[in-house]
Parts: sequence; structure tokens; C-alpha cells
Amino acid sequence: MISSVPAVPAAAARRRRPVPWTQLAWVALRQRRGAVIGTSVLLGVFAVYLLIMAIIQDSAYAAVTACHPAAALKCQQLAQAFSRNYWGGSGSAVQSGGAQTVSSLLLAIPVLLGAFAGAPLLARELESGTFRFAWTQGAGRTRWAVATLVLPAALLTAATGAFTALFYWYFRPFLADGQVSEMLPLAFGLLGVAFAAWTLFAYAAAAFLGTVLRRTVPAMAVTIVVYIALALAAATAIRPHYETPVTVAGWNGSAGAGWVTGSWVKAPDGRVLSQGDLASLSRHLPASVQNSPSPDAFTNWLTQHGYTLWQSVQPDSRFWRFQLTEGGWLLAASAVLIAGTVWLVRRRGA
Amino acid sequence: MNVIETSLLGKRYRRTWALRDCTLGIPGGHIVALVGPNGAGKTTLLTLAVGLTRPTAGTVTVLGGEPAGSPEALDRIAFVAQDAPLYRNLPAADMLRVARNLNRRWDQRYAAARLERLGIPARQKVGELSGGQKAQLALTIALARRPALLVLDEPLASLDPVARDDFLASVVEAAEGEGISVVLSSHVLAELERVATYLVVLARGEVRVAGPVRGLLASHGAGLEEIALRYLRAGAPSSSRTEGAPS
Repeated sequence: MISSVPAVPAAAARRRRPVPWTQLAWVALRQRRGAVIGTSVLLGVFAVYLLIMAIIQDSAYAAVTACHPAAALKCQQLAQAFSRNYWGGSGSAVQSGGAQTVSSLLLAIPVLLGAFAGAPLLARELESGTFRFAWTQGAGRTRWAVATLVLPAALLTAATGAFTALFYWYFRPFLADGQVSEMLPLAFGLLGVAFAAWTLFAYAAAAFLGTVLRRTVPAMAVTIVVYIALALAAATAIRPHYETPVTVAGWNGSAGAGWVTGSWVKAPDGRVLSQGDLASLSRHLPASVQNSPSPDAFTNWLTQHGYTLWQSVQPDSRFWRFQLTEGGWLLAASAVLIAGTVWLVRRRGA
Repeated sequence: MNVIETSLLGKRYRRTWALRDCTLGIPGGHIVALVGPNGAGKTTLLTLAVGLTRPTAGTVTVLGGEPAGSPEALDRIAFVAQDAPLYRNLPAADMLRVARNLNRRWDQRYAAARLERLGIPARQKVGELSGGQKAQLALTIALARRPALLVLDEPLASLDPVARDDFLASVVEAAEGEGISVVLSSHVLAELERVATYLVVLARGEVRVAGPVRGLLASHGAGLEEIALRYLRAGAPSSSRTEGAPS
């Protein structure tokens, strides 16, 4: 039999204390159990791989750094072999699976994690009709929405932040020997705060789009398209303008390591050569230069004849300023998207 | 105290009015049958009352003047939407915990005992329950919240006859045993005839008649179904509406 329980006194019911956040957090976590496991597995698999590779790499890299003098042929060969084996990009399939390939793959993680974690949050409730349950409980839909959106965002940011730390440890040798500038898009997106910030942005965009479109899969698809467009725009058009680039003269990156965002050749009379000018110049070189086996023959010839190379560079010293700029606007955009999602939930009718 | 009170309430979806000029005062302590053909505006009226939808026109208050959807209203109204939407991937026990954590008031002992009495296994996933079990689980969650008003939208539509009978018995037991006001909607009055003590007939977004069943039966000298049909056919909305008298 159903036991009759004494009704809560009316006075107590009127003294209304909202449902505690800890309770709402439990609900948000329980609902995301699958996503939490999925994210952990994905990041975990890559983390184990990076860990193993970092350990293997470290002993090979120790040999490179221990070699003295560094300019000796033996040491040069050692350094080249290290680069070939672990940075990769050429040679056998095993070698091309080096850090270059791995980093390119890892750049896809933020959008995948963000889209899969963010899109279903509201879209699944709207698709399945369970929002009619969730939004009519005593907690109210605003608190429910805040807990649903903010807790996974915090967890995702923490997890991807920790992953970045591991990735940095794995990636150190390539930064240290000047193989890669940390300002290059490939490295920049995986270091500092960028990796976590882009993941958070993808998550917030997916949650917002899921609320607007009311469907999980289209929300994921649109998120991925928007993300790729914005990430490309950031790397090619937005990021170079965080600060005016440094202009340096010379052929050999004399400004030190950095991200070269543009380069041009000036003729002895100070005229800037177009691509066409350069091409016609290279066709009319003396045979001794044209047939030279040295790859530097053309640039040597240009230097000898008074031509100068100019480059606009974002030096490595600007890394953290750039990271914080990018992290800052991504965080602001994510906050706006999450607030917008809560706003949509508040005003949405059944 | 009126559990639902509306004044010239209207809701428009794009161009069509799902509900229009609805003025109602449903007194507490009743089992209210909200009946009307499909598309009459029953779901719209109920979603407005529980605060899921905002009105296009007019006002709706609940439980003696609380604005629909306000924290005070949500706290004391339990709503089960059509087809009893619950999280299919959760085991029944976790579904209870979710509801418990989403509410200030929750009677876990009652909820657990009721599931056990109904023979719903706590570890069974909601998506694997039968239609009747799922409806009962949703009702259990609603009742464990200790509401003052229970709102059920088409609760019987997807149930077989035995499950319907069990479900209605549960509702009556809760209403009588714990003094909960209940509003149920259905497009089949016959389903609710046995239990309803108050009748609201809707058609084409307008209230055709509203009043206590006893009063309607006495004044019309006909069966409830006959009365409802008469108002549905007549089609004259406000002129034939009788105001609900306290029981």
C-alpha cells in the first residue's frame, strides 16, 4: 500500500530555497556519463601514445644534445636522423607517422570533442521531448540549463588543458632544436591555452546550434563547418594581426625563430619583385648557377647581385601574448554562446 | 483557491490560434477532465499552465495566484507530458535520483516503495519498460514530488485497458488519499467519466463548457458524454459556459 506522508507545512514551502547546485551537478554528470567516458578514452589513447613516444624520443634526443661540438659532421647527421625519425614527413610510412603527422591529427580533437559533447546537450532533450520533464521540475529551467552547460564545459577545459601539458612535454625536442616555431599554426593550436580554448569554443557553438536546430546530428555538422572556417581564418587572417609583425632583412631568418607570415625580394634599386619577376630572373641565370647542385645557388647569386630578401615575422617571444589574446577572444565567444543558449532555453516554448 | 485560473488566455503558433480567449477558474480539490477533439488546444492550455509555454495574450496563474512557470509554481506542480517523456537510457532507479536532485521536495521512501509495489525493477532501463510501466514510473516521480497540483497530458493514450485502469486507480488514490488536485486531458471522455469530478470541454481553441460534474449532470439530466457532445456540436463558446462552483 502507498503510505501517506505528511504534507510539507505551507510555511516551509513558502520559504523557498533553490535546489542546490550540487544536486544539479549530479544530474548533469549522470546525464553525460557516456560523453565523459568517450572523452576520457579518446584523450587517454592519445595520451598513452604521446607518453610512450616521448620516452622513446627522449633517449634519442639526449644523444643529439650530448654530441659535441654541435657543428661536427657526426653531430649534424645525428640531429638530421633524429628529425627524420621522429618529426617525419618523408620516407617510409613509419617515419611519416612522426610528430608532424601526429600534431596534424591532434588539431582535429578540439572540434570533435566539442561537437560530440556540446551538440546533444539541448538537442537531445528537444528531440526526445524530455525537455518537458526537465523544465517542469522544481529546480526550474534556468538553473537546470546553467548546470547542464557549465559543468561539462569546465570538465572539458580541464581535461584538454591537462592534455596540452602532456603534449608540450612530448613536443619539447622539436621546439628546442628550432625544427618548429611555437608560433606556427600547427604548434600554436596545440600549445599554451589554445587547445583548451578551441575545444571550449567548439563545445559552446555545438550546444548553441543544438538548441537552435533542435537536432543533434545537424548541429554537429554545422559546428564542424563553422569551426573549420573559423580556425582557418584565425590561422591565416586573424592571428597575424594580434601584433604588427617584425620586418627583417636577410636570407637566413636572422630575427631568430618565429612565424614567417610574408616574404618578398627587393631589387638593388629598391623595387619589390613580383613572383613573375623572380621566375623570369631564375630562367635567365648563368648556366653555372642553373645547373648547380646546391639548393642555395640561386639565393647566393641574388645576394651577390645586390638583391635582398625581406620577411615579416611574428617572433617566438610573442607566444604567450598571442596565446592569451586568442584564448581571450575564444573564451569570450564561448561565454556569449553559452549565455545565449541559456537565454534560448528561458524563452523557448514547448 | 483556484488551481488554474486564466483570463482571456490565448496562444498563437505562427498564424493559427491554438487557444483563444480562454477564461477559466478551476477550483482545487477536483479531478478535472479536460476533454476535446484532437487539436482542440488541450495540450496548449496545459503547457501554458505548467509554464512550458508563454501566452500570446491574456494571463494564467496557478495555485491561488502564482504566475505559471514561476519557481513557486514549479515547486508545487507536477506535470507529466504526453507519452511520459523520461530519459530512456537511465535505469529506473537513476531516473528517480535525477528527479530527486531536480527538486527541493522529494519523498524517496514513497517513490522506492511504489516502484517495488508496481513490480518495476530498479535496474531496468526506462527505454525497456512497457508503456504501462513507463507511465507508472512517470506518475511515481510526479507524486514523489508531493505536489499540490498534478497535471497529466493524455496519460492514457498509449496504455492498454488494464494499464489504463491501474493508472486511473493510482491517480484517484493519490487525489483522495493526499488531497492533490488533478487535471487530466483526453480526447476520449469515456476514459475519464468514472473518475472526473469537474469537466472542461475545449474545441477549436475555445472553452465550450466548464463546471463540476455533479452540477452539469443535475442541470442537463443527461450522461456526461451526452453533455460534452452537445457542447461540442453547439459550437457557441462563451454563451453556454457555466462557471465552476466550489464543490
